[in-house]
Amino acid sequence: MRQKQEKLITTFHTTADALACEKVCKEKQIEGRIIPVPRQLSSGCGLAWACEPSNEATFSEFLKNNKVEYDAMQVILF
Amino acid sequence: MDLAKNKTTLLISGAILGLIAVVLAASGNPGNMAFCIACFIRDSAGAVKLHTAAVVQYFRPEIAGMLLGAFIISVATKEYRSTAGSSPMTRFILGFVMMIGALVFLGCPLRMLIRMAAGDLNAYVGLVGFVAGIATGIVALKKGFSLGRSHETSPAAGAVLPIAWTFLFVLSLAVPALFAFSESGPGSMHAPMILSLAAGLIFGVIAQRVRMCTIGGIRDAVMMKNFDLFAILAGFFVIMLIGNIALGKFSIGFSGQPIAHAQHLWNFLGLYAVGFAGVLAGGCPLRQIILAGQGSSDAAVTFLGLLVGAAFAHNFGLASAAASADAAGGPSATGKAALIICIIVTFIIGFVPKKK
Repeated sequence: MRQKQEKLITTFHTTADALACEKVCKEKQIEGRIIPVPRQLSSGCGLAWACEPSNEATFSEFLKNNKVEYDAMQVILF
Repeated sequence: MDLAKNKTTLLISGAILGLIAVVLAASGNPGNMAFCIACFIRDSAGAVKLHTAAVVQYFRPEIAGMLLGAFIISVATKEYRSTAGSSPMTRFILGFVMMIGALVFLGCPLRMLIRMAAGDLNAYVGLVGFVAGIATGIVALKKGFSLGRSHETSPAAGAVLPIAWTFLFVLSLAVPALFAFSESGPGSMHAPMILSLAAGLIFGVIAQRVRMCTIGGIRDAVMMKNFDLFAILAGFFVIMLIGNIALGKFSIGFSGQPIAHAQHLWNFLGLYAVGFAGVLAGGCPLRQIILAGQGSSDAAVTFLGLLVGAAFAHNFGLASAAASADAAGGPSATGKAALIICIIVTFIIGFVPKKK
């Protein structure tokens, strides 16, 4: 079984926003991956972006600069 | 106990839901229709006389139980969130499309699993269409499709459907003369009311906790190689399979299957429409009920689309006929035309660019 590690999870209001995040991250070669929203964060079934927790402040700025709207960011074991 | 803790608990949760379906099938629900969301909404539409097809009218306690179960557990766990405002009328149309597709196939994706577990090969044809529809929906998502975000609303707004539907259910028990009840056909076949209600409540609670969704399970597997939601479906399928074998109801073949037809193209296209529209709407019919139960007015509107779609399907002869000894069954010419129109409309919704 995969060992859980701390990840910065970014959630979005819409699936389109999550996929827009994935697109800009790939373009800028920012590491991370699209995942289903972890159950402990939401009873919804949308998509989220998981990346290394050290990126939090700059990642938030990066999304804003690229006009990607997000809902929340949280570091959890994932 | 955290049912969503890992794949094992998700698998067990799916197995419990499968067991509930086996019990309902053994207790009187129609053949291979132990727990079909589309069929049960269609029967409920008939019970309140939105359509008058005499063989499919019964206010199914399972639907009321699911809405109420999801509502109660979400309030208890503080996950109840009253939200609305994400393209409600488009969602209504997507709900309508899902119901037309389901009634051409003769079952929602949950019944597809139930039919697959009973050896009905037509359901495997439907599965191919379902996956193709989901894949089409994923392409639309990747091209930027969005229904827009929802917003928080007053807490009471999200409770309207669960409460109103529960009221109707209680009314169907207190004043049954107001409602229509089938005397023959699938609508006349049902498990005892208390058992159906309890099954619906438990199903609603578990499905809310584990976020069960037939579309989400395949979407996550295809898009992200994530099999969490798929594990629930696997558990459900395996228990249904074991149950059908144990009860002597497993029979492999295209013909002789209960309430089914072997029109392959239309089985494919029926569930293609459900998969495609379901991805755009953010969940299968089952998931829409759970989301509506936990406060989403958008999902409630999708539910109304399903309900009205069922009424149209029977008032306009769009639902397929089951195969019998005398007839091959399948959709009527109007049913075929309606389904094609529904798929075209879904393509327009999913792929025509919108102004930002």
